[in-house]
Amino acid sequence: MDPVRTSVMNNRFTAIVEEASTILYRTAHTTFVKMVQDYQCALATADGDIFAFPSQSGVNVLIGLPLQAILEQIGKENLEPGDVIITNDPFATDGLVTHIMDVNLFLPIFRDGKLLALAWAFVHASDVGGAVPGSISPSFTEVFQEGIRIRPVKLYRRGELNTDVINLFLDNCRIPDEVWGDFKAMLSAMNNMERRLNQLCDRYGVADIQTGMQEVMEYADEKARSVIATIPDGTYSFSDYLEGIEEDQFTYIKTTMRIDGDQVELDFTGTDPQIPAAYNFIIGDRTHPYVVLAITFYILSIEPDSPKNAGLLRPIHTKAPRGTVINADFPAAMGARAVSSTRLFDTIIGCLNQAIPGGLIAAGAGMAGIVVVNARDPLTGKDRVSVINPICGGGGARSFIDGLEGVDARFCSLKSVPTEAIEVETVMLMREYRLLPDTQAAGRWRSGSVLVMELENTGLSATMTARGLNRFHFRPWGVNGGAAGRVGEVIVNPGKPDERSIGKIKILKLKRGDVVRMITPTGGGFGDPLERDPDLVMKDVLTGLLSRDKAEQDYGVVFGKNGIDEQATEVNRAEVSASRASLPDFAFGPEREACDHIWPDDVRTLLSTEVLRHEPGVRQPLMAAVQTRLSAKDEAVDRSTLENTLAEEVERLTGNSAPTTDT
Amino acid sequence: MLRIGIDIGGTFTDFAVWRRGAGNDTAIKSFKVSSSPPNFAEAVREGLEELLADVTLEPDEPVFVMHGTTVSTNSVIERSGPRLAMLTTKGFKDLLELQRLRLKVPTNLFSIRTSSLVPRELVFEIDERLLSDGSERQLIDLDQVVAAATAAKSDGIRSLAICFLHGYRNPGHEQAARDAIAESVGGLDVSLSSEVWPQLGEYERAITCVLNAYVKDRMDTYLGEIEAYLRERLPASRLFITKSNGGVMAAREARDFPVHTLLSGPASGVTAARFLGEMLDEPDLLTMDMGGTSTDLSLIRGGAPMVSTDSEVGEFPLMMPVTGIEAIGAGGGSIAWMDGTVLRVGPKSAGARPGPACYGQGGTAPTLTDAYLLCGYLNPDHFLGGRMPLRRDLAEAAMRPIAEALAMDTTAAAESCVAVATSNMVVRLLPYLARVGIDPPELILVLYGGAGAVHGPLLASEVGIERIVIPRTPSVFCAYGGLVCGLVHDTVRTVHGQAMSLDVLKRTFAELESEGREWLARQDCESYLTGDEIERSAEMRYRGQSFQTSVPLSPQAIAGKDLSAVEADFHTEHERLYSHADPSAPVEYIELRTRILGALDTPRPSKVDWTGGNDEVTEHKALRLDGATFDDCAVYQRDGLEPGRRVTGPAVIEQPDATVLVPDGFVAKVAAYGDLILTRGT
Repeated sequence: MDPVRTSVMNNRFTAIVEEASTILYRTAHTTFVKMVQDYQCALATADGDIFAFPSQSGVNVLIGLPLQAILEQIGKENLEPGDVIITNDPFATDGLVTHIMDVNLFLPIFRDGKLLALAWAFVHASDVGGAVPGSISPSFTEVFQEGIRIRPVKLYRRGELNTDVINLFLDNCRIPDEVWGDFKAMLSAMNNMERRLNQLCDRYGVADIQTGMQEVMEYADEKARSVIATIPDGTYSFSDYLEGIEEDQFTYIKTTMRIDGDQVELDFTGTDPQIPAAYNFIIGDRTHPYVVLAITFYILSIEPDSPKNAGLLRPIHTKAPRGTVINADFPAAMGARAVSSTRLFDTIIGCLNQAIPGGLIAAGAGMAGIVVVNARDPLTGKDRVSVINPICGGGGARSFIDGLEGVDARFCSLKSVPTEAIEVETVMLMREYRLLPDTQAAGRWRSGSVLVMELENTGLSATMTARGLNRFHFRPWGVNGGAAGRVGEVIVNPGKPDERSIGKIKILKLKRGDVVRMITPTGGGFGDPLERDPDLVMKDVLTGLLSRDKAEQDYGVVFGKNGIDEQATEVNRAEVSASRASLPDFAFGPEREACDHIWPDDVRTLLSTEVLRHEPGVRQPLMAAVQTRLSAKDEAVDRSTLENTLAEEVERLTGNSAPTTDT
Repeated sequence: MLRIGIDIGGTFTDFAVWRRGAGNDTAIKSFKVSSSPPNFAEAVREGLEELLADVTLEPDEPVFVMHGTTVSTNSVIERSGPRLAMLTTKGFKDLLELQRLRLKVPTNLFSIRTSSLVPRELVFEIDERLLSDGSERQLIDLDQVVAAATAAKSDGIRSLAICFLHGYRNPGHEQAARDAIAESVGGLDVSLSSEVWPQLGEYERAITCVLNAYVKDRMDTYLGEIEAYLRERLPASRLFITKSNGGVMAAREARDFPVHTLLSGPASGVTAARFLGEMLDEPDLLTMDMGGTSTDLSLIRGGAPMVSTDSEVGEFPLMMPVTGIEAIGAGGGSIAWMDGTVLRVGPKSAGARPGPACYGQGGTAPTLTDAYLLCGYLNPDHFLGGRMPLRRDLAEAAMRPIAEALAMDTTAAAESCVAVATSNMVVRLLPYLARVGIDPPELILVLYGGAGAVHGPLLASEVGIERIVIPRTPSVFCAYGGLVCGLVHDTVRTVHGQAMSLDVLKRTFAELESEGREWLARQDCESYLTGDEIERSAEMRYRGQSFQTSVPLSPQAIAGKDLSAVEADFHTEHERLYSHADPSAPVEYIELRTRILGALDTPRPSKVDWTGGNDEVTEHKALRLDGATFDDCAVYQRDGLEPGRRVTGPAVIEQPDATVLVPDGFVAKVAAYGDLILTRGT
């Protein structure tokens, strides 16, 4: 690495992609781009390695996305100047595309007749057809319900638009003009990157630019390795459950993390087979940034100035059996894969907590729900779909600071909508949007509080949906003695005769005057609550987020005339400490403990791996049948009981007694 | 009439003075004194004394003191304001804590939110509720208001902010609360969100109101000091304070609404640049103000500074229209360091103290200023008019570890630092321009601030800017803003959700205009106004869009029979900004705004009275530029350059308050008004 060229090129490349990302944002048409900034563009080498990725605008969850699948599909030798490739197909790109709403474009950049680089851009298109407007419903079971899918093909061939392709695509969208508008925005961003990269070649020469590309990745690689090297070598594993569409559906996600010097391997073997819901995705054979987010966030937390490119992913390796929920086979539905990727994030964080001396961070709220209302627009009298607010919940406590209020470290880019705007634009009235006292999970460092959002329908009738809600059954866990967090809850008409708790919102019809109270989950605590600085306990008491009773109960403090009596507290804490059981590394809460009691981790892993050995059509019914039978007994399942039950159920389902694949 | 512009910076307090005399007497004088933190008023007094020693005032000669101060900004950044209380609608106690949820660095697992300016225990929820159309859903419980204010007062609180939901639409509840407090509690200073800036968006409006309350006390004390001095020494003077929107307001107004001064620091220089652009007949400018610790960019398009409605002070958003500034971090004090094997510059800065190593004030870290010196750009004996002799030996010593790591000599290492710093600036500049859809060659770069004329030309050369203007005295340019600014006031009405018609539009604009005129009348200088102007604009969007576009509206646009001309302007603006428009789509109105500009007497441009005589070229020296050493480059004295004179780069032009670097490939020319114009080419 040349010390000066690396620094200058990193800046110059970043300037190009930041500029292009800005252009994309400025000229895009649809809501997802404008409102949640779900778009991005970047520059990759001729081999498909992203060497510059923006961080000022657009998504940050795809830093270093490997683009090789495109080159393989089209064939490098078939690329010509003026070509643009389009695809939104997760299957044909081995997961490069994470769901079909993300339309990806690629523009090869040539210099002196040779392929110099690849410009890439994507937008989350607000609609790609399918069974519902917006194309996403968690309850979809196959990709066909989600809309049109197109494998990598040339949208432009030597500068000429392939009208057959674009017409086919747009004819299958509900809002073709706007989607085409987004495509044009991507094209201008990519054209700009091409122009700027050529200018840079004029200035510094092609050889320096090409060397620079490699150097900036090496720089990021070095940063990533320097962070991983500080984590002690070893094998760490952790599992958690994703809650499904129905109340009793729980998908098991398992991560085994191996640290070896400055390299890390994440092995997801043991994770459940894919499910008939839009929660699946494909991690593919190459390290996918969306999958290893917990590691890259950790690296960037320690080394925030590191270049953002594929180099960051080089020391990170992944593997997952095909056919699992995170490495799904055709034709899995994937629209709402953010939910499962969030739980995957949690399992990696669970491993990091064991590996990093002193731990890292307790589980956060673990969800990001998008609350949407369809009701008559007060202005036009027509029905209108409006995004009310994203909701997340309190962050998990961290190894040296408290958790965030109202949001989880995984979802810090979420932005709320002002209540005043919601009330002007929709028929919903916000009765409450605030933190709920006495909801922080205790710990030496405590979690954030629960966020409450209470809405009243003031119109005639309204339909509310909320996709992405989770952590309504299993609590976010606490770490190193910190308490488990709280689960979410939705209550309709609180305090009225027809008050009811409805679990996760699917489709909720609201009459005039109906009230919905959404109580988010909140993350776990970190460290022994008895070690929390009494001054910090007092501070929370003063702010009103912690009652004196709960302070005494959770933190063992003793109040005197002037706040906390430090001496009495010390005595009391020593007593409490001596009389209680030793604190667990992870506090999962009673729900998960009950589940683990029936399904010890090794047995649960065995269930996943065994079911996966059967042919795809059998897996779901087999899984359901075995779980229902064994869970009903409410006693610990051992390996032989599981193996026997599996055999019986397989026979019942297929008439065969042996697995039909893997022979 | 005497106009005095005063601008306070971290290191120096700058003065610019202009006296309207008979005939064409427009001579402008400028000078600087050392700033006197933390008691900034001292330097103001010192400078004014220096000025008074020089000027004899005519009896009854009016004196306008245009003062830019950052005392309010400093107290926000240092968080040194008083404890405050806030009243808000029941159910929204955590408005200030939750903000808009989003955090600055979303990839950091250890992110924390800026802690609230009002502790949670001092946020009082009040039973009251207005709806989005301004109607009342629930009466306000004034007993609760009084109880809360009493509790706050007994807790030692003296200042209180009130922000109720939909207060922008109906200020009734906020006013009722204020009146009840005044009547039953007293002794509390109250800021109302509906009065400070009545715009939709409860967090942004609340924080604007809270910031106003937060800086009031400090501003009041500071202005009291300045006014006491002026009463004694300049009794005929009127004091005006620079606003974030590039104009000024009367000192009394600044006491009530100090929130308008929070971003005034960089705005003043942009106002001066706009005036310069008008003189040169150049409407599209990029300004770059580079000092010791920061570099601020700003755009002037079509003769008007670009306005921002989502700026920030500290880590708090400001929603009112202000002169848009892009702060890009680097300054002459930015420190170069080795990140493993890679060279980086900034974001750490040596600041004004200890400053760069070559200042000899104890700094040992290599800074950009040290690099400039080693590359030959700065003259060690003439820095800041010779006030600050620079020590090359210390610069070299500081640079040596970098040079060793790079295996270069200290000069080459220094230039590497400059190159890295330039690329740092490019990363911020290109996306900034892309946001408004401008390509660098379309712009003229205006350089000022202590280091602007050194590094600016290098940046211009790197990004393809073809023309550069350097005003006569770049280091006191912000103080010049005080000589050319007017009184400027913005008003806003949120109309989001209301049915719009031309009648409603006209009526609302008429109300806003009369609000503006009332404001102008309160500013103590009506008889000196030489004219006024009203600018109208509407924040509009296509139905379904989640962002809005600010559309300037000409008088003709609202003089039509219906809204079609207004909406045509929106489509045009949308097309210009976003490269697409849909004239058939329905349009929504979010806010209507006016800006009133009251003009005061300003200096008219005059040709330079060049006396000549000095030797142009005072020395020849080597310059290290773009990876090469250019021997025998000429060093010119700006005073010695006759208007029309051309200087071919690489060269250096020195003047008492600044150094101008003319890169290879650029030609400098002294223009008619004494400004220096650098053009790419020969």
